[in-house]
Amino acid sequence: MCEANVYIDRGAGEELLMEKVDRIIPGEENNIFMESIFGERRVVKARIREMELVHHRIILEEVKEATGVRELEIWLEPDTDHGHFHEGEEVSLKLLKGYNMKADPTAGLQDIKAFVVSEGDKREVHLHEHDESKNIILGQETEGLIQVYVNEEDKLYTKLIVEIGHHHHHGLEPLGLPLEIVPSNYSHARMGENYEIQVLKDGEPLTGAEVRATYSGTQNRDYPHHLTTDSEGKTRLYLTARGNYLFTVKHDGITSTFTLMKSF
Amino acid sequence: MCKNMPPLELAIQFHGHICPGLLIGVRAAEFAQKHLDISQDYDEELLAVVETDSCGVDAIQAILGCTFGKGNLIFNDYGKNVYTIASRDKNQAVRIAQKYGATSFRESERFRELNRKQVLSEEEAAEKENLIGVLFEKIMTMPLEDLFTWEDVELKMPGKAQIHATRQCAVCGEGVMETRTRQTETGILCIPCYNKLGGEA
Ligand SMILES: [Zn+2]
Ligand SMILES: [Zn+2]
Repeated sequence: MCEANVYIDRGAGEELLMEKVDRIIPGEENNIFMESIFGERRVVKARIREMELVHHRIILEEVKEATGVRELEIWLEPDTDHGHFHEGEEVSLKLLKGYNMKADPTAGLQDIKAFVVSEGDKREVHLHEHDESKNIILGQETEGLIQVYVNEEDKLYTKLIVEIGHHHHHGLEPLGLPLEIVPSNYSHARMGENYEIQVLKDGEPLTGAEVRATYSGTQNRDYPHHLTTDSEGKTRLYLTARGNYLFTVKHDGITSTFTLMKSF
Repeated sequence: MCKNMPPLELAIQFHGHICPGLLIGVRAAEFAQKHLDISQDYDEELLAVVETDSCGVDAIQAILGCTFGKGNLIFNDYGKNVYTIASRDKNQAVRIAQKYGATSFRESERFRELNRKQVLSEEEAAEKENLIGVLFEKIMTMPLEDLFTWEDVELKMPGKAQIHATRQCAVCGEGVMETRTRQTETGILCIPCYNKLGGEA
């Protein structure tokens, strides 16, 4: 009999949070994960104040979330609900800044550079102001597998792969970013499949890096998935959500993201 | 890419949401296709006899094309997750039964608990979303032997759906299929009107 009741002080004294907890894992960013013997699970933003083991009581103190403390990241999203583009269709991508795929409209973008890479050719593209959002518009003539990346102040990077027209299932060349997420086998990603990515730092596989993953429309405040790269810098995620996914890695002051576009 | 959706996506689109019950139906439908050796774009008619009316049946309808409207979906109200799928072409039928307790993970229990709640807090909504993710992976990657038992069975295929004449109900005036009418002193009645008159007119 080792389970305990967990109480939380949100500033107005202790209140019961969860009964018969048999597992507590303090995570990053003040997250405390709890699991009860009934299988109930919760994550709260708190720190442990006291553990009265004899009385089976654990007391947490809520950590108030200060706004703006979170480090923001940038990412690209297709400006279509359809999830993919057809041949002859104008390709428009939105550049967003925020956290966990939730855009923060107050976040400013400075010193932005955007590039399009296709079959070894790299060209810089301009960002269009579009109803408060910044868009990258590729011409209708574009076809094939195109990589688009954006860099803000050499600190924030993001990349997206656009597939237009026929399927191009050959390997993808890394772009050579200082920190980069590369899909292992480019193919049309689907729910119910494992999706593998590799993290490269200055072109070399980065081992033991934490990769966070999320998907559009998540109700989680924080990233729902936390992955760790293996000895080849690779990690994989079983896709279970509809819509686009975002993978994020942070290392040496650089945050790099990769948007996985999904049709469904 | 817009046509030829894979079975899983077809089922989710048809059903409207992702839930464990639907995913079990997806596995059953995919198993039937493999077992009866029928390709996905098989357009010969299959017949499904289902013993439940819950979420999983939507996967059978979406993936195997067995629907109420076409008359090749037969519902026996036994409250069992059992699907019998027959191919007229192959003259073969398989009865697929979900194993008792096959999906009683602790996450399933918590999911059902949250599913019963009318209002979810922000935390609970996120928790439910994460539970669906966990159950999704478990159900979709489980060995079929752990999820189902199955056996080949003899199944008499019913004849093609028959078209019956339509008669007019003497009380409400609406049309009713001849085989569903009740002959009474008041005249020919539909079942609802017959019942409203106390079952004897
Ligand atoms: Zn359902
Ligand atoms: Zn009537």
